[in-house]
Amino acid sequence: MSLLAMALRYLRFRWLVTLLTVAGVALGAALVCAVLTLRHESERALSRDAGLFDLVAGGKGSPLQLVLSSVYHLDAPTGNVPYSEYERIRRDRRVRWAAPFGLGDNYEGFRIVGTERHFFELPDRAGEPFFHFERGRAFEDRFEVVLGSRVAAATGLDVGSTFFGTHGLVNVPGGEVHRDFPYTVTGVLESTGTAQDRAIFGTLASVWEIHETEDRLHSAIQGTALLGGQKEREATSVLMRLETPGLRLLMADEIRERSDGIAAVPINEILRFQRGVIGPVQRSLLAIAAAVVAVACLTVLTTLHQAGERRRRDVAILRNLGAVRLEVAALVFIEGVLLTGTGILLGLLLGHGGLALGSATVREATGLVLDPWHVTRPELLAVLAMALCGSLASLLPAITSYRRTPIADLQLTD
Amino acid sequence: MISLHGVSLRLGGGNRAAAVQFSLSRFEVAEGEAVALTGPSGCGKSTLLNLIAGLRRADEGRVEVDGVDLASLSSERLDRFRGGHCGMVHQTFHLLGPFTAVENVAVGLRFGARRRRGNRARAEEVLDRVGLGDRLGARPHELSVGERQRVAIARALAGDAPLLLADEPTGSLDPETGREVFALLRRVAQEDGRTFLMVTHDLALAAELPRTFDCSGLVRSSGDVQEPAGATS
Repeated sequence: MSLLAMALRYLRFRWLVTLLTVAGVALGAALVCAVLTLRHESERALSRDAGLFDLVAGGKGSPLQLVLSSVYHLDAPTGNVPYSEYERIRRDRRVRWAAPFGLGDNYEGFRIVGTERHFFELPDRAGEPFFHFERGRAFEDRFEVVLGSRVAAATGLDVGSTFFGTHGLVNVPGGEVHRDFPYTVTGVLESTGTAQDRAIFGTLASVWEIHETEDRLHSAIQGTALLGGQKEREATSVLMRLETPGLRLLMADEIRERSDGIAAVPINEILRFQRGVIGPVQRSLLAIAAAVVAVACLTVLTTLHQAGERRRRDVAILRNLGAVRLEVAALVFIEGVLLTGTGILLGLLLGHGGLALGSATVREATGLVLDPWHVTRPELLAVLAMALCGSLASLLPAITSYRRTPIADLQLTD
Repeated sequence: MISLHGVSLRLGGGNRAAAVQFSLSRFEVAEGEAVALTGPSGCGKSTLLNLIAGLRRADEGRVEVDGVDLASLSSERLDRFRGGHCGMVHQTFHLLGPFTAVENVAVGLRFGARRRRGNRARAEEVLDRVGLGDRLGARPHELSVGERQRVAIARALAGDAPLLLADEPTGSLDPETGREVFALLRRVAQEDGRTFLMVTHDLALAAELPRTFDCSGLVRSSGDVQEPAGATS
């Protein structure tokens, strides 16, 4: 019988203590893995979305709010920019690609984004088209729309389906449904793993038409006159890709200076947000997880020490049978390594499994697509550190067993 | 086979006031001999057995087993020597709780005889020899005390150690079971030609062995110097 088989037998013999100790280690390891993976994946997902666009221009307000509303389809927009500003941006030779966004309505909580047909020509960082159609085609006329993959999956809409938009950016009971303006689905996009999967893209002209009609109606009801044709067309924001990212800050300054609005660099805003808000929360969670791991390692130490005390007689018997000091020490050490190793492996499974279960919720709430099974370098280092702590915790009782002389312990009774 | 000359050993740990001295001028046992070690409690019977098994080291004097001076062996070599040369049976059996009867014997083979292969088959064979062929998978708590002692005997026999040392092997057993266990020990020692030393308080059992060594007076308090009895019959 090998030392490993003997160690397993002793662990099985004390199954309850073994179970509780492994559970403690697993809990700590799961927390560490979950926090580290969540941090890495959220950074990666946020950066992937933010990295799609070099610059976003919008009305006066918080740059972060502008980025969240335009890039992540999360917050309320800051305000509008004149459509002429978009046209000016598009004519700028330093701008590789630009598209306007017009917000105002939703369908079952998914935002209807008014834009232009060339939005789907957005290039990825390698210069290839970022969007691909899973089925159907891009919109060509007013009130034709293209669905993000998540929208199609969640609503059951498909090419040829029609629906009515509801006023506002969030789905609230009793919201004003624009029944005079049915939308028709012409295409469904392939999943991009970004927040764009949660949007419905139509023409900006449709958004203008719905809301100008609504405005005229409200003016008529209120007895005021709307000077149709004199009101300048507006967009909620303008998204840009520049010829080179090095132009971001320069162009942001230019836009701020010549208009009433603001321009934000998405990646900068997101990094600031991560460092300022998410970072401290994650660091606190990580500290708690580290404390749990430390307690778990102390539990392993205590368990092995107590087991060693209870097993003094057994160790003496083994020595009496001819086992040398190193063998009995190795037996105790292997037990400790099995406890911590099993705990860490279970913790990895628990941590990543928990993330896998939660990733769908995160995706629905924020559009962020997490890869819950991705093992990061910091996580690997944390696992190694935990394994080292577990080994050290196992080493102490092993040394105690090594140093004992069998004769006194042989007098102990069963 | 066994030879002790001018052996002394201070007992009682670091407390000098409580310390007592074990002294033995000469003790020899020939190969294949069977000897009962008798005497009152605390007289040094078990200490003598432990010196022979290498579980204690003498402060002075020479302890030789099978021609090897035990003092010359390192701790590791002494453990291995004991495993290979001494099969031990104790009053409280000293079985390992998590392991079955056959595994207890196989574990003994692993560390004692240092055998890697065939341990289980050998363990089954020896357990069958001591009458426990149908109790191989039982754990110690599932066995009667007599059966437990038989497992301990099987473990002591399995490695073919030339020396069989028994420390009060019948002490925890009822008289009838005790006699059965003693008969078993004596029979297997005789059949295998092993040297057999048994510590016992039971003078009737001791009388059944060809030689008795009275250990009275081997252990004395400091300053109380007198020659140990060491009588033989």
